[in-house]
Amino acid sequence: MNAMETELQKLKEVSEMVTLYGPGIVRALIILVVGLVLAKLFLKYSKLILRRLNLKEATLSVVVNVLFILIITLFVAMAAQFLGLKAMVIGRILVAISLVLIGIVVIFRPLIPTLPFKVGHTVKTGDLLGKVEGTTLMNTRIRTFDGKTVFVPHSKVLNDYLINYHLIPNRQIRIDFPIGYPEDLLRAKAVLSEILAKDPRILKAPPARVFVINLNLDGVQLAAWSWVKNDDYWRTRCDLLEKIKLRFDHEGIGFAMPRRLVHMQGASEDCTGSGTGLAE
Amino acid sequence: MDLKEAMKTIGAGWIQRPKGFRVRFERRQGDEWVTDSFPSEGEPLFTSDVMAWELARRFAEAARKEATGEANGEISSITVVDDKGRAVTFYGTDGLLMLNPRVQA
Repeated sequence: MNAMETELQKLKEVSEMVTLYGPGIVRALIILVVGLVLAKLFLKYSKLILRRLNLKEATLSVVVNVLFILIITLFVAMAAQFLGLKAMVIGRILVAISLVLIGIVVIFRPLIPTLPFKVGHTVKTGDLLGKVEGTTLMNTRIRTFDGKTVFVPHSKVLNDYLINYHLIPNRQIRIDFPIGYPEDLLRAKAVLSEILAKDPRILKAPPARVFVINLNLDGVQLAAWSWVKNDDYWRTRCDLLEKIKLRFDHEGIGFAMPRRLVHMQGASEDCTGSGTGLAE
Repeated sequence: MDLKEAMKTIGAGWIQRPKGFRVRFERRQGDEWVTDSFPSEGEPLFTSDVMAWELARRFAEAARKEATGEANGEISSITVVDDKGRAVTFYGTDGLLMLNPRVQA
């Protein structure tokens, strides 16, 4: 009976505490949640506005983080007041904590290595190409375009070069291929220029270019370079390759084939010859 | 004439640059044939003529008289046009191409 009475007494005390402090705790939690949401929104929009001042990225990051800490501090103070703490006490504690955090941000933030991408970016690290799905404390989760999910340790990302395809909105398509020396070079260039000009995905600026990039042993190396938006890159590249192949076939412009000079050892002189390697 | 003006003249007249593509066709409505297209007005155009021609080809296959779908014999004169309704040459031959042409009686 004594044990039961003690338990009942404890339950009664807990119930009294909940009745006394419960509403205050709930209000404080609501204020904290609202404060966090507002601080995140403020962070997002203040970055956009401050970018127009042409600040360096590091300075922008410090300013935004300091403002974020101050807003959170304000809402924590409001929540603490609802819990019944005295304003002076709250103020002193929060000022101390804020100054420490701001000091850490200002002094140490630039030294902390950050990952060179965000979730949703398409990146290539080593021979791994895919979209960043998420990051944890230890690794980054990348989904390749053939459906594999790869976990890459941050040490590998930070210690090797990485290509981020999202930092600029456009990408250049470079299509280089050789045509035979006897082919009509000017006609080939005209056809290539026409193909590039007629594709609405190819950007007008910078303008697409067609030029002779090299005179190789196999043939005349042509280059067709153009710019497209990131999202259009692969589809446009594949379409251009198809169009070039079909149009060149239709126009009778031959692609160059590798050539080899073959010497037959020990054979008579008239056995030495060159060719494309194809049986005639 | 300055260079900027010359480049503008060349850009405007050298080649017709479409803003997009659609597949235009005729379909039977009673005794008449009416012109229709997809994507319809108000929908975004195809940005790839390769895709547009591929869809036109499949549409023509589906509309053959021998086809088993609902469109057999009811669709003809399938071609690809640009945003202004002008016929676009087939990219492989640089010539105009019409699939499933309607035979005039």
